[in-house]
Amino acid sequence: MKPEKINRIALVLLSAAALGLPLVVRSATYLHILVLLYFYAYLTTCWNLVGGFAGVLPLGHAAFVGIGAYTSTILSLQYGVSPWLGMIVGGLLAAGVGILIGLPTFKLRGAYFALATIAFSEGLRVMVENIDRLGPFTINGPRGLQIPPLDTGLTNFMFAGKEPYYYSILVMLAGVLFLTYRISRSKLGYALNAGGEEPEAAMALGIDVARTKLIAMALSSFLTALAGTFYAQFTLYIHPKSIISLDLSFEIAFIALIGGRGSIAGPVLGALLLRPVSDFSRIYFGDTLPGMHLIIFGVVLILVMNFQPRGLQEPLTRLYQKVVNRLFHWGALEAAR
Amino acid sequence: MKILDVREMTKTFGGLTAVDGLGIEIETGQILGLIGPNGAGKSTAFNCIAGVFPPTGGEIYFNGEKINGVKPWTLCRKGLERTFQIVKPFASKSVLYNVMVGAFAVTDKTAEAEAEALAVLKSLHFESRKDVRAGNLTIADRKRLEIARALATRPKILLLDEVMAGLRPAEVDEMVAIIKELRDRGITIFVIEHIMRAIMALSDRIVVIHFGRKIAEGTPDAVASDENVIKAYLGEEYVVS
Ligand SMILES: Nc1ncnc2c1ncn2[C@@H]1O[C@H](COP(=O)(O)OP(=O)(O)OP(=O)(O)O)[C@@H](O)[C@H]1O
Ligand SMILES: [Mg+2]
Repeated sequence: MKPEKINRIALVLLSAAALGLPLVVRSATYLHILVLLYFYAYLTTCWNLVGGFAGVLPLGHAAFVGIGAYTSTILSLQYGVSPWLGMIVGGLLAAGVGILIGLPTFKLRGAYFALATIAFSEGLRVMVENIDRLGPFTINGPRGLQIPPLDTGLTNFMFAGKEPYYYSILVMLAGVLFLTYRISRSKLGYALNAGGEEPEAAMALGIDVARTKLIAMALSSFLTALAGTFYAQFTLYIHPKSIISLDLSFEIAFIALIGGRGSIAGPVLGALLLRPVSDFSRIYFGDTLPGMHLIIFGVVLILVMNFQPRGLQEPLTRLYQKVVNRLFHWGALEAAR
Repeated sequence: MKILDVREMTKTFGGLTAVDGLGIEIETGQILGLIGPNGAGKSTAFNCIAGVFPPTGGEIYFNGEKINGVKPWTLCRKGLERTFQIVKPFASKSVLYNVMVGAFAVTDKTAEAEAEALAVLKSLHFESRKDVRAGNLTIADRKRLEIARALATRPKILLLDEVMAGLRPAEVDEMVAIIKELRDRGITIFVIEHIMRAIMALSDRIVVIHFGRKIAEGTPDAVASDENVIKAYLGEEYVVS
């Protein structure tokens, strides 16, 4: 068997496992945890377009989740617009905001860029917390918005069980992973990587570095906002602290750094590792030590950065390659016999 | 026909005048050498021409078009390309990846960029290294990578900033041969170099600057025997090989 063929088979098996998982996992609690795991893997993959490929460290992506969630929820609650349409509107709004944030901040280096994105996202949260009505829109300040569970079904993006949500976010995750894969092998991907690593050399080689970063930012914020709508429809209740929180922004960055930023598998591996930690520490330490998961993340991050500065993705990819090669050679030997 | 025409170019950093009323003309297909002691303003002149920053005064014409303040990526697409004295490889990426970044300046398709990059690597006898991570290359190979990347953008004129510094004599000879071959392919070359033997062998004409000012210009032989040049270099730390 050729390595490409083994890769394809592995992908098919993985997809089959993901698709079949709800047949095995019947508990609503565990399905809920899985949905959130995919949700975070999705968010981190979106984040990775900027934070990984473009080589900057955005720490305010929760703002885009919030923009997506609030836009579609307000439109559907107050104007009867389908959440699917609201999702697109929220995405476009977030892309516009992403560009506005990127224009002045992409010139900033390292920590300054990170700080600027934190400041923006926190500013947005405080604003939303203090506004009850914005023109014709009801925002409801810190109380947030409740979505009454009325007609379930695909058109309303509202379901009775957890399974449909599981498949929705799985499809979204697969889509964004495929998009990332295509981008990483395109002119845009090469330009982003080059501009992130050595901006001066990239510019000399014909790349308008600032412009490619803006494109990545627009794309990333658009896609991130889509997940905001998903979250609103999944939990049926959003408020500023739940959705525009620094906690969310930081967790995305932790997942990316530990999993391996700039790689395609990194965000998924990071989410697989960290989400259970996050969920179980909330279950067991939620009352006594809230925030315990962030401390654990910090410790894990220090360890990973010390031993695998490119994230867990690197040794795991190497291991996988080794297995594929073994299979390949073993297959060739068998065939020769 | 003059491909590059620099007139009265000046660049100041605060109180320091790094380039001072410099005039340089290059004919298409020539190799022009630029030499001068350390800190003479050679790299600064390159940076002004290549659009890293605009000159404080004077004019720069590329193929008859004024290019003061035009951005590096635009100049690259027009056919003016440069390498860096302090090499800047995309260290975490393979040699092929590095060169493909350059090739994307002339195509939008990944397959075409890869074919172009492989052709460039082959022409530099470098294709055996294509899968090596750029950060793991020797200094000689890093310099070669700088050139390969630049070539992939299909330049009309190539500005080379000390691509031979740190190379062993055999490697220098190889580089001289490569640069001559590029010229034979029709690429105009503007080269900064400290290694006298190399610059003498390469250049059609040489410009010498000192404290940002031109102090001599002419054929290699004429420049080597110029009194001002000898004086400028006396006592300077200088590679004669
Ligand atoms: N970006 C900058 N800001 C301030 N001063 C600078 C800058 N770039 C260069 N200089 C100064 O300008 C002068 C000319 O520097 P330049 O790098 O052009 O010299 P050079 O001829 O290339 O020297 P070398 O042979 O050592 O490479 C030096 O005094 C240097 O310190
Ligand atoms: Mg220099």
